[in-house]
Amino acid sequence: MNRKNTAKIWLVAFLFLLFSVAASLCWGQMKIAPEKVAAFFCRIWNLPFLFDVPITEKEQAVIWYLRLPRTLVGLLVGAGLGTAGAVLQGIFANPLVGPGIIGISSGAALGAVIAICLGYAALYPLSLPAFAFGGAILTVAAIIFLAFNRGRIETVQLLLSGVVISIFLGAVASAILTNASEQQVQQYLFWTVGGLDYRRWIHVEIGFFPIALSLMLAFLLSRQLNVLVLGEVNARAIGMRVGLYRVLFLAIASLLTASSVCISGNIGFVGLVVPHMVRLLAGPDHRSLLPLSAILGAAFLVLCDAVGRVILPNAEIRVGIMTAFIGTPYFLYLLKNSRKKSEV
Amino acid sequence: MNDKLLLVKKLSSGYGDRIVLQDISFSLQPGQMMGIIGANGSGKSTLLKTVANLLPRLSGTVKIMGEEIRTFSPKQLAQKMAYLPQDMSIPFDFSVRNIVATGRYPYHGWWHGETNEDEKIIEQALCYMGIEDLAQRSIAALSGGQCQRVFLARILAQQSPVLLLDEPTAGLDICYQEELLRLCQGLCRRGKAVLLVLHELNLAARFCSQLILVGRGGLLGTGTPDSIMTEENLTRAYGMSIKCVKNSTTNHWDIYTEGANDCE
Repeated sequence: MNRKNTAKIWLVAFLFLLFSVAASLCWGQMKIAPEKVAAFFCRIWNLPFLFDVPITEKEQAVIWYLRLPRTLVGLLVGAGLGTAGAVLQGIFANPLVGPGIIGISSGAALGAVIAICLGYAALYPLSLPAFAFGGAILTVAAIIFLAFNRGRIETVQLLLSGVVISIFLGAVASAILTNASEQQVQQYLFWTVGGLDYRRWIHVEIGFFPIALSLMLAFLLSRQLNVLVLGEVNARAIGMRVGLYRVLFLAIASLLTASSVCISGNIGFVGLVVPHMVRLLAGPDHRSLLPLSAILGAAFLVLCDAVGRVILPNAEIRVGIMTAFIGTPYFLYLLKNSRKKSEV
Repeated sequence: MNDKLLLVKKLSSGYGDRIVLQDISFSLQPGQMMGIIGANGSGKSTLLKTVANLLPRLSGTVKIMGEEIRTFSPKQLAQKMAYLPQDMSIPFDFSVRNIVATGRYPYHGWWHGETNEDEKIIEQALCYMGIEDLAQRSIAALSGGQCQRVFLARILAQQSPVLLLDEPTAGLDICYQEELLRLCQGLCRRGKAVLLVLHELNLAARFCSQLILVGRGGLLGTGTPDSIMTEENLTRAYGMSIKCVKNSTTNHWDIYTEGANDCE
């Protein structure tokens, strides 16, 4: 990938992000014109523009209390899952790995089930994200512990223990749900599909620091991932402390996924496919792959959410469903195109 | 002592409790190209990996420029010794330049990227291997011979005085094999020391200045090709009768097998 093409991809990614954010702020049950949204921000930041654009109290309230936090949560979650997927695919040197495969999501799901079935989720709304976060982190810690052997972490063992623990935790969650009430099962299903509806400023506050911190760390260390991806022997031969970096990157990916899942529920598609799409477009160099996965993951998730709000009259399709509906055909198109290119 | 870049003394290596090789001693000087030869499973790659500190050593010492390699940090060691593994499969579609640039890793802190000097060294490595035109090409689109040149360029960018290569000619046709070994000889002329595992005895005898013959769990001989390429040595190492004839026209060793397992 030459520099000219890379610059083009960055520009397109930023424009796509801008468009998605604008769409998310404008589209919904109440349509708000883009100039009104622009006027709203000019007033908030005391900018001397667009004074003459009328904007009602109700529109201001919709933007400030509903659309803006929802969009920000979407940006955080999309960036978090996109980057976590790219990091995990780098650690395992395998494009089929996503945040779901090493048990992070099932740990979070079990945490959510416990919070719902113990009745905490109904009493204290923040207990659901807290339990989901705790479940995800404990699961990853257990998987790393199981794969740790004489100071080394074998990727195959890590992957296998992740898959097995995922199945086990899924079974535990199902066993608990068998004895749960219908309302609790419905609440769990609602959480499992993943969505950005009813997201408020508190969710932005919960997700912002862990996700922003992990993203910064991932971008700073992206060069190390280019070495780690060459395999254990190669990486050690050029002086890398492979075990240390594997644990560090796993911790970053886990924190990103756990923080994302805890504020939005399980959104499966972004972490697996966005990094793969970016790799097909911009190449595998993690110095551009990680930030582009963050930008395009954020833009993609927010756009899917916005489209899900307007595609059906008087109804909303949750973002977890929309990501798969929009992403799958585009991904298949890219895959087919890349195969054609490699054949040429 | 000081002219020895690499000194291996009474080295034992293996996997867990299983000892593969023991009591191995040899030394390597600047400009020397030393080939490790022996039958399949005799421990050639194990020896190379143990010297590179990639396998735990059971006993003995490995010194580089007079200092025990365990006293170096991983990055310090990589600045002194470069290792090319047998299997270099690259999982994603990295460009040639990306791969060669990883050779500069030992010289960087975790926080900073390539400097102008790194760029220059990477360009030089690409030019030396004659692959500067391939710099932006994907590694997946190259032939086996071109890939080996890329991996050698990566090792060159590492700027280590000692190069350890594990079967660098595996899977290459005769032209690429000879070309690659000539490139290694060129590196030796520039003052580097190369220790490499080779399967092709004819090539080993022709291109290496020194040979190490391993087998039966230890060192069967070390010295110049003329002193190692004897029927007695090779027959002991390979467990079958082997004839060595020096071709008077080419002045190279020609090696033939004579029947299977009929010697011992």
